[in-house]
Amino acid sequence: MANHERNIWEKIADQLRSKSLWMLHYCTGCGAIELPPSMTSRFDMERFGMGPMATPRQADILFITGYLSAKTLRRVIYTYEQMPEPKYVIGFGSCTLNGGIYYDSYATINRLDYYIPVDLYIAGCMPRPEALLEAFNELMKMIRKGEANGWRDYKENYDWYKSNQIRSLGEVLVHDEFHE
Amino acid sequence: MMTIIRVAAVLLTGFFVGLTLEGVSRKIIARIQRRYGPPWYQNFIDVFKALSKNGITHGWIFDFGILMALGGVIATLAFVPLGDLVAFPGLDNLFIIVYLFAVGALGMAMGMVGSGNPNSSIGVARALTQMLGYEIPYMISVSAVMYYYKTASVSELMLSQQDSWTLLKMPLGGIVAFISLLGMLGKKPFDTPIAPAEIASGPMVELSAKYMGLLMLMHTFSIFVEIGLFVDIFLGISNYWTFLIKFTVIWILATLISSVLPRFRIEQVVKFYWKVPLGLAFLQALFVLLGWVF
Amino acid sequence: MMSSMSEIVKNLKTLVKKLEIVEIDEREVKIEVPCEKTLNVLSFLKGNGYSHLSILTAVDWIEENKFEIVYVLFSWENGGKFVVSTKIDRKKAKFVSVMHLWPIARFYERELHEFFGIQFEGNDDMRPLFLENWDSLPPLRKDFDPLEYSKEKFPDREYIKDVIYEAKVIRGDLNG
Repeated sequence: MANHERNIWEKIADQLRSKSLWMLHYCTGCGAIELPPSMTSRFDMERFGMGPMATPRQADILFITGYLSAKTLRRVIYTYEQMPEPKYVIGFGSCTLNGGIYYDSYATINRLDYYIPVDLYIAGCMPRPEALLEAFNELMKMIRKGEANGWRDYKENYDWYKSNQIRSLGEVLVHDEFHE
Repeated sequence: MMTIIRVAAVLLTGFFVGLTLEGVSRKIIARIQRRYGPPWYQNFIDVFKALSKNGITHGWIFDFGILMALGGVIATLAFVPLGDLVAFPGLDNLFIIVYLFAVGALGMAMGMVGSGNPNSSIGVARALTQMLGYEIPYMISVSAVMYYYKTASVSELMLSQQDSWTLLKMPLGGIVAFISLLGMLGKKPFDTPIAPAEIASGPMVELSAKYMGLLMLMHTFSIFVEIGLFVDIFLGISNYWTFLIKFTVIWILATLISSVLPRFRIEQVVKFYWKVPLGLAFLQALFVLLGWVF
Repeated sequence: MMSSMSEIVKNLKTLVKKLEIVEIDEREVKIEVPCEKTLNVLSFLKGNGYSHLSILTAVDWIEENKFEIVYVLFSWENGGKFVVSTKIDRKKAKFVSVMHLWPIARFYERELHEFFGIQFEGNDDMRPLFLENWDSLPPLRKDFDPLEYSKEKFPDREYIKDVIYEAKVIRGDLNG
């Protein structure tokens, strides 16, 4: 992501924001099994200020842990657009990088970067909780330096992201028995 | 002139002490679970972060509801005496404080219902039902105290405990008031309205950025009002510093109890409050009427 | 096979002339029937205690040009399993529904219609169950190529180096 010029208020706000990030408690795919060990007593996540939050309206970070089928991607795009700015996305596991072990499946996506902007990737299948904590520290350093600008990217190149979503999904609106 | 300085002192105390003690309670819960916790100034950073995001709004009922809630609670806090720091001497009647406190709760209910999410309606209904549960034993035991001392002003209630504390004179009433205090604070086992995993945070589900920050401030101030009333009425004469010490002790006790218990369902909450605490409160009122006080 | 099961098989032989029996285990027997007699066989088995439909699924034999529909029935009294299978034509895939015997078959048949393209008469609830906005062949047929579909719809990540070659060198398969 390109560096963006920040004035003094935004710099102070970024310093404060990096110490208290809230993540959305949305567990998609098989990587979600690595979240409870990082939250409990051995690898403590709360000492960095992070905590789980139940609604997208109050969360800062969206974790995409594992593969995403086309059906889930529509709902994830709904959730991503519901979060207030500034917001960050972390891609977790190798299925978000290049498809992982499901690279030849007719229902899962191969590259997360085309649909929503991603700030940080964590490689592994599954990554250990130590890798998760190092990724948090890396994300906090990126926020302090001003490099985590995925949400600005989404706003500027909105047409490109939209055309990719429509190419892969057909349409982004959800029609299912629950909504109708 | 002095009134304005006193009101400002009361509000600033509520702000700083409240947020610090919330951070300390997170640290205590973490140490009970054998891990390090967040630093003690974590809640300050949370409030500032929530105020710095760009959120969305749902119409004027939503904005007005949250402002009414915050304004009501700040007005209530200005009347509560902190030890011997009384902002409006002569005006701190118990009924005024209870009445103004309801403005805060009703404001939040109105604002949350105006957002249109069914989760928030469920949470607000549960919050009002729980209020129906804990208010009745609380009012009966506090009425017994007011009848005994023949006054309704909070600072006079505090000053007339010269021989011994009210908690030692009327132990049943004190215990009932403490159990109701746990329900008022919204801590486990009575945190059904804010249940995070069941109904996606209940009333707070649609609050985005600035509204979340204002809601956290409102929660801090309302904690201060509730525990402040308990300390003034039941725990003896205190000046400003001993008031803060007793406040801290009661807050840590409530945190210790809440960190080991699970959560009740809403019908269990009301059933519990109307069986044991209500019976004890009636017993206490009977003892006071007959004159059997320690 | 168990004694009760062999009795049932004997009774079945009087019902249907052309039966093929394969004994898989002590408690599991596979029966192949022609497609007209399937409903009679299933209702007979249900009347004799095999009242639980475990699964209803299909196999694609593309060389013989047929679909094979498989019913697995289970009995709670003696723990025996009957596997009933028929073969239908692949080009015009049509069969009768067993919804009146087991109401759960409604969802199994919906899944088979979505993934194989088999029509069931008597079951008019043929909406898609798992996939949304599907625009190609039914995916579990053997002439559908998932790799090519995935490459066309969900684009891959382009790498500058050839990572597969580098990984083989690191692992020691090739000497670089």
